Amino acid sequence: MPKSMVIAPEEVRRGGWLETPPIPLNQYRSDPQAERERWGAAALRDVYRDMVMIRAFESMLGDIKTQGAYRGIAYEHAGAAHLSIGQEAAVVGLCLPLTPDDLIFGSHRSHGEILAKCARAIRVLPEAELQRVMEGYLGGDVLRVIEPAAQWDSVQDLARHFILYGVLAEIFARTTGLNRGLGGSMHAFFAPFGSMPNNAIVGGSAPIAAGAALFKRCNRRPGIVVANIGDAAAGCGPTWEAITFSAMEQYRTLWDAEVGGAPPMLFNFLNNFYGMGGQTAGETMGFEVLARIGAGVNADGLHAERVDGYSPLAVAAAVAAKRELLEAGRGPVLLDTVTYRLAGHSPSDAASYRTREEVAQWQEADCLAGYAAYLSEHELASEAELEKEAERAADRMELVCRLAVSLEHSPRPDRDARLIAGVMFSNESRTAMAAGEPELAGTLADNPRAAAIARRSRGALGADGKELPRSRVVAFRDALFEALAHRFTVDPTLVAYGEENRDWGGAFAVYRGLTELLPYHRLFNSPISEAAIAGSAVGYAMSGGRVVVELMYCDFMGRAGDEILNQMAKWQAMSAGLLRLPLVMRVSVGNRYGAQHSQDWSSLLAHIPGLKVYFPATPYDAKGMLNRALQGTDPVVFFESQRLYDYGEEFVAGGVPEGYYEVEEGQPVLRREGGDLTIVTIGATLYRALEAADELREAHGLAAEVFDARFLNPLDLEPIAASVRKTGRLVLASDACDRGSFLHTVASNLTRLCFEDLDAPPVVVGARNWITPGAEMEQSFFPQKEWILDAIHAELLPLAGHASSTDPTRGELAARARGGI
Amino acid sequence: MSDFDLAVVGGGPGGYVAAERAAARGLKTVLVERDHLGGVCLNSGCIPTKTLIHSAKLLQQARGSAAYGVTVSEARYDLGAAMAWKGAVTERLRGGVASQMERHGVTVERGTGVLTGRGRLAVDGRALAARNVIVATGSRAARPPIPGADLPHVVDSTGALQLQELPARVVIVGGGYIGMEFASYFHAVGSEVVVVEMLDDILAGVDGDIVRQLKSALPGVVWHLGARVAGITADGVSIAAGDGERVEAADLVLLATGRVPNTDHLGLEAAGAVFNRRGVTVDEYQRTNVAGLYAVGDVTGRSLLAHAASRMGEVAVDAIVSQRPGSNRMRYHAVPWVVYTLPEIAGVGLSEQAARAAGRNVRVARLPLAANGRFLAEHLAPGDGSHAAPRGLVKVVVDGDSHVLLGVHMIGTPASEIIFGGATMIEAELRVEELREIVFPHPTVSEALRDVLWEVQW
Repeated sequence: MPKSMVIAPEEVRRGGWLETPPIPLNQYRSDPQAERERWGAAALRDVYRDMVMIRAFESMLGDIKTQGAYRGIAYEHAGAAHLSIGQEAAVVGLCLPLTPDDLIFGSHRSHGEILAKCARAIRVLPEAELQRVMEGYLGGDVLRVIEPAAQWDSVQDLARHFILYGVLAEIFARTTGLNRGLGGSMHAFFAPFGSMPNNAIVGGSAPIAAGAALFKRCNRRPGIVVANIGDAAAGCGPTWEAITFSAMEQYRTLWDAEVGGAPPMLFNFLNNFYGMGGQTAGETMGFEVLARIGAGVNADGLHAERVDGYSPLAVAAAVAAKRELLEAGRGPVLLDTVTYRLAGHSPSDAASYRTREEVAQWQEADCLAGYAAYLSEHELASEAELEKEAERAADRMELVCRLAVSLEHSPRPDRDARLIAGVMFSNESRTAMAAGEPELAGTLADNPRAAAIARRSRGALGADGKELPRSRVVAFRDALFEALAHRFTVDPTLVAYGEENRDWGGAFAVYRGLTELLPYHRLFNSPISEAAIAGSAVGYAMSGGRVVVELMYCDFMGRAGDEILNQMAKWQAMSAGLLRLPLVMRVSVGNRYGAQHSQDWSSLLAHIPGLKVYFPATPYDAKGMLNRALQGTDPVVFFESQRLYDYGEEFVAGGVPEGYYEVEEGQPVLRREGGDLTIVTIGATLYRALEAADELREAHGLAAEVFDARFLNPLDLEPIAASVRKTGRLVLASDACDRGSFLHTVASNLTRLCFEDLDAPPVVVGARNWITPGAEMEQSFFPQKEWILDAIHAELLPLAGHASSTDPTRGELAARARGGI
Repeated sequence: MSDFDLAVVGGGPGGYVAAERAAARGLKTVLVERDHLGGVCLNSGCIPTKTLIHSAKLLQQARGSAAYGVTVSEARYDLGAAMAWKGAVTERLRGGVASQMERHGVTVERGTGVLTGRGRLAVDGRALAARNVIVATGSRAARPPIPGADLPHVVDSTGALQLQELPARVVIVGGGYIGMEFASYFHAVGSEVVVVEMLDDILAGVDGDIVRQLKSALPGVVWHLGARVAGITADGVSIAAGDGERVEAADLVLLATGRVPNTDHLGLEAAGAVFNRRGVTVDEYQRTNVAGLYAVGDVTGRSLLAHAASRMGEVAVDAIVSQRPGSNRMRYHAVPWVVYTLPEIAGVGLSEQAARAAGRNVRVARLPLAANGRFLAEHLAPGDGSHAAPRGLVKVVVDGDSHVLLGVHMIGTPASEIIFGGATMIEAELRVEELREIVFPHPTVSEALRDVLWEVQW
């Protein structure tokens, strides 16, 4: 919402006609002479060789999957195998104009893309570089298997064996696979050659690739980014969001021209006409021609084009032309690359949805045969030479298959799972993700927000010990600002975006002042596209940058389910620790706005392996924990309660420190000491628990020990366990709904740790298991001081004269469970 | 609006005992009763039936007393006088309950109590607040959906206690304990009796040996077992069984088909309490799901016995006063029960069949009461009073592994006065070897219980 752009009624209300650019359909015309001059004869032969290699690889895997053997090597492969037989020309043609700096992201059907991209990179990288990459990759574990076993005649040839073996060992879940067997068939990748993560979620790569392109643009890195997604991904919301995110006008209108314009993003739809059992054109979509959707996005029509994916050189020419547009900042681009999956979706696909005649027609038009005919017709290779290629490829497959099957050469990930435990989080501490001078639009010294904060008290209390007006203290939101502002000045890769970050300053005024501090490309507004926000952040982080995104309300995470739960949480581990995800996602727990703006989903996130979950409740922790999150290299979901944004620091003497400091990760903090019972809270419930502790002390002479967990994952239980051993009584409270609350996990773990010391079962006090009602009724939904006292009275310690306002009885517990409420 | 520590809704044996115990422990207590203090038990249940059955028993004894050397001329039954005696007894007992309430300082509120929210009631519209509430509203006779059930000669147990004249022929629908008590009564006073029971036998759950003896003590009663009433007309009762339908003539039909809890119009929904058609759901401390709300007695559907209700009331009060649920829990396994038939049946604990079904290593011993001197001295043999043995049996069920007494079952008056001994033994979880050390007075019928324990073989 920049003030520089005015929405004028006379303009938007004016009559007229919108024209969209024409979309070329298969307009490429082969010119053998020009093609030979452009690519060189050797490269044209290599195209065939790579296609044959992919065909041989997928055929080998198909044999293993359907017959349990390949060339006499018996093997039962339990995992997935989505074969790309029929799609070889499309992917080899794509990779022909790509350099190792260019990145491709793919789908579940991407074996061919990995092989094609790596084969191309191997041909252009110097031998010394290839050697360095192979020796350094996973400590040389892959190279050590293939180097002595393969009969290679050059470093390039060794590298080709290396990739073939690495991919197959990965598919067979071996520690010598490209991702130590933790990715598998649908996720294998090899980043050093620009083959980036492949994704088992349809369309999943679109927002991630968009984030990688954003990284390239913001950090002036060379190369373009390709999302290889299927035609069915055109029906996925996140794909659409990724396209619109990549097509924002601000890149070319509001960002500094020097940054280079729109991110270099190519959405390459490998259009094989089927998504599972649905036929996109004609049945499950309405576009008729996939390339049409480009016309709906921007004035360029995304430079959309349908390309004949059965002609590798048609694809190569299109990609080469589009990369010029992308490098000029004129993207994004959409390609509708026509191809066909001859082998069906997977080996379990009975192909009941298509006719044999249709498959026969495509076999007849086979891209390998067609391209072989082209080569021999134009005397680029003899038929004998071409025939030899197939034989040679099969021999290689036999070799890598034998090695990959062998448990001696290719062991499985260790059974005690230390391997996985060691890669779930990267746990690094890095001030900046890259060297360089951070780009700033202003300085903190002359920042209006910083100046306003400087006039405020660092703590909630004045010199007389009395509470200061909230407008005069460094509040929770100010503490967050300080952490963010600091990181922007030390990490040049850090960018932040969300739906209202720039100009508005964030819905809760955390970002106010950052607009003055930062250029557009480091702080910008995104479309209302949570999936694109989260997914692109994953891509940005895995490409080497640090990113903070904000989804305003916790509830909106539902819109980014896959991106948070399957992408953000999984890629560090699925890459066997090769990728880093320094990504902080800020979400707030709301109130007052009803059922879709008031949920505490911290438990939901804590349940998902691979995420760190922070939930500060005080300004000191807000700054110290955000500093910690921004210094780390792991994905963090950072919860904030809207009830607390204007709170000052009440617990730490001296208030929020002006300088940099970090809160130790995973450490709960003692807020009040006591010997009679232990109260553990997460989030804003801390303050209600303290009120309860006050009443326990004043009305009942009981001293409650109060812990603020601060972290859900990781969480050190021992300080709380020590308290419970002392008091023998435990009550836990947070704003999360009771059923499935993470506090039940804490309670059950502490019960095991402290069973002998407990006087009674721990009690969890959560919000009701129903919708958040209107603002006037919230006290009947979120835990209140009285609820905590009622729970203590019912289960832990009878309080003389206490009259319950709620029903913390066992009968009510059973009744609610039975009623599903 | 006055504030109480405890409000008890319902002045039956669950409610008034709870109120009395609570007041004795210092709680400011109010007892809400819409009708008479004492509940169904005192006013239209246990007590009035026992007075009528006592009259019938005297009639029976008078008619057979010649064998004992006493001749009574023209022993006859005067229904009006028996009813007057019944009224005098209940009136006096009601007064007793009222004075007990007064003595303990329990406020008695007359009117219908309805829960209006947490700790709030309305008594005929008058607001009343209490930190704790015990619901003790009892139960009422079920009215099965039988065509003709609303005809004037069809009554439930309450109606049967207000008869103006004896029926010549009564059909009793339901062979449970209420049905069988009335069967005994009507049989003793000379009415023809027909019993219709849906199950395969009367007195479900009672030991089979004992049921057989009871049936033989009711000669002339017509049994329709495994049968149901298809309809009632002014002339007769249509009874459907596996072998077809037949009509039994009757000038009185007594419906004794069970009881339903008084959970309706009580405000349980407003209070948020969980309940179902069997009653209010409570735990072993009589707590409902709502903090501060308790339920005792028939309204819980757990045990439809006055003495169980009183015990539940005591448990609830202790849970309220102590606030910390402890060992004072409601236990049902040692609650004795009595069927005031002629002769009486009483029992406590598991029947032989139930113990076997529970997979116990069961040992059983039986002793005919004819082996007991006192019993023999006071009971004639059936029929003409010749020297054949009189009816009567005591039976014990023992766990063969632990030697703990599991059940005691008796038929033969005064079983009702003896059975508490069995209850004491079971509650104390004593083993047979220890029980044999207890000394009983001689000569008493109760000695049969001691003697049968010596009959147990391992």
